[in-house]
Amino acid sequence: MIFMPENKKYANLESIIHPRSVAVIGASENPDKVGHIIMGNYVDGGFPGKLYPVNINSTGTIMGIKSYKSVLDVKAEVDLAVIAVPAAIVPAVLDECGRAGVKGVVIVSGGFAEVGNVDLQNEVEKVAKRYPMPVIGPNCLGIMDPRSRNNTLFLPSFKIDKPKIGGISFASQSGAVGSSVLDMINHEGFGLARFISYGNAVVVDEVDILNYLMHDKETKVIVFYIEGVKRGKEFMEVAREVTKIKPVVIIKGGITEAGAGAAHSHTAALTGSYQAYEAVFRQCGFSIASDLKDLLNFAKIFSTQPLATGNRIAIVTNGGGTGVITTDALYKSGLKLATLSKDSETSLRKVMPSIVNIRLPLDLAGDADDKRFGDALNAVENDDNVDAIVTIALFQTPGADSKLAESLIHFGTQMKKPMVVISMGGSFTQAHKAIMESAGLPVYGSPSEAASSLVALIDYSKYRGKIL
Amino acid sequence: MTLLDYMEAYQILEKYGIRSIESSYVKSAEEAVGFSKSRSIVLKVISQNAMHKSKSGLVALDLNSPEKIKKTYADLEKKAQEFAPFKILAQVMAKKGIEIIIGGNTDPQFGKLILIGLGGIYVETFKDAASRVCPISSYDAKEMLLQLKSHSVIAPTPEAEKRVVDLLLKASKMFFETKINELDLNPVIINENGYEAVDIRMID
Repeated sequence: MIFMPENKKYANLESIIHPRSVAVIGASENPDKVGHIIMGNYVDGGFPGKLYPVNINSTGTIMGIKSYKSVLDVKAEVDLAVIAVPAAIVPAVLDECGRAGVKGVVIVSGGFAEVGNVDLQNEVEKVAKRYPMPVIGPNCLGIMDPRSRNNTLFLPSFKIDKPKIGGISFASQSGAVGSSVLDMINHEGFGLARFISYGNAVVVDEVDILNYLMHDKETKVIVFYIEGVKRGKEFMEVAREVTKIKPVVIIKGGITEAGAGAAHSHTAALTGSYQAYEAVFRQCGFSIASDLKDLLNFAKIFSTQPLATGNRIAIVTNGGGTGVITTDALYKSGLKLATLSKDSETSLRKVMPSIVNIRLPLDLAGDADDKRFGDALNAVENDDNVDAIVTIALFQTPGADSKLAESLIHFGTQMKKPMVVISMGGSFTQAHKAIMESAGLPVYGSPSEAASSLVALIDYSKYRGKIL
Repeated sequence: MTLLDYMEAYQILEKYGIRSIESSYVKSAEEAVGFSKSRSIVLKVISQNAMHKSKSGLVALDLNSPEKIKKTYADLEKKAQEFAPFKILAQVMAKKGIEIIIGGNTDPQFGKLILIGLGGIYVETFKDAASRVCPISSYDAKEMLLQLKSHSVIAPTPEAEKRVVDLLLKASKMFFETKINELDLNPVIINENGYEAVDIRMID
């Protein structure tokens, strides 16, 4: 019998994402076991809720906490059960969760359809659908939610950077893509809202997750790695709604060309399955990442910068050649340089030394300090001909130091126009990049990354009707 | 999966206000000459057994005299025997212009998609095409055009853009509402006077 009500199209993931009580099924004293690492996440991570270790062989306590032989023995409310047991017994354990009235389940165990065990996976699906609880997985990392300190990831904690609490949510079908991109998001310090790795998507699928993240107040930007969509119509329905309120950066794995032999028309040859996905993503206003690095680059600009009013860009730089290359990168991406207004020209001419040509890209020269950058940014910020700003800060130059970084942070986090920074270089540069990024200013290591991120922001601004 | 009869497809386009070039089946060389009314014409063999007409040598262009029409009709009829049953279609020779493709196909997940791209012989060379799920909005249609590398060739002026957007919207509506699963209008020839669908293929 299926209890999932027909009209409830999308699973409620609240208890899975930020539970107040967690049962770890497969909890273990043995440090080599997945169940041990997961227990450690809660014990060492300072999870404030109730924790129930469950292991069929348990004899009283696991890691110093009272343990149970079955989740049925807990006899208290369990918001989330994390199942980390061998694949063969997952259906039985899942059934116990259902009978115990657990509110949500994450199955991290692998060994299902991904290795050809389709029957076992079908069994999991059959059991799951007997109960109203949402089930994530199997074959996934599950959840990291820094606010509630919920963490089902079975990765040694020293191998992945701790997240700062923030507004980027990242959902990934693949655990491998998930953990590496998550680590990059955490490392750059822009702040994580929710991480969801959902694996084989037997019950909870990408539509449920997109719907949850759309309604989630903590999520400002959604980053998504998908390999496929099972409910195309519902996916589009939710996708159209979500981009009305927040940006979605997406990358799809498994791009294959339709075999030429299967094509019956010219159109069929032009429309492989990826073309359909691309059409849907564009139509729903998603920002399409063509590379994993884009996921982070786009998330950075979306999570920190306002929407743009157009595609006229002002470049302010302390390096002439870099300004030229950045101009090229902008034009290659379909953006263009702004033309300064007469007012800006006049006011800049008054404050800039005579070696500075008053035109874009505005080359402030190698001796430019925070004061000169400040004067320039002040002018372009207030120039109606400018829609967005690229500031190139080369920290190798004599005038660039931490005062410059502070000044850029001041402008980049307060002005009403989007601003990105390009800084390329070694240790001294990286140190300042880290300072600027942790303050919420997106810094890119190359002109092309800055340009493609601006394009993502501007395209989305257009979709949202900010640009006519 | 069957190819719709050409004239049936022609009438579907007409119903949705999509202009296609004047066409008619002809049963003899004399009928073909009569159809031409001194205009230059095209003769095409239409057969379920020949999906790609021009690749099979079953299309003859720019027939501008009764002699040429008669001789070509006889040649085509002979060539077409191996694709029997067949019919011969006469069309007015299209004026020069930019060739585009308007297409449609059905995705198992997302349903019917409409496509626009640079057409004719360039379809498979440049693969410069954009698609969206039907039905599309005029915003979608404009974005599809902007997505094309050949945007400035296909829509060099605001009027030209408006015409193509209008054509795309009609094609999307037609494809969405009818039982056909695959569509090729290739080429549609665009010039300063408007557009005309020159070849039509619908599969249901």
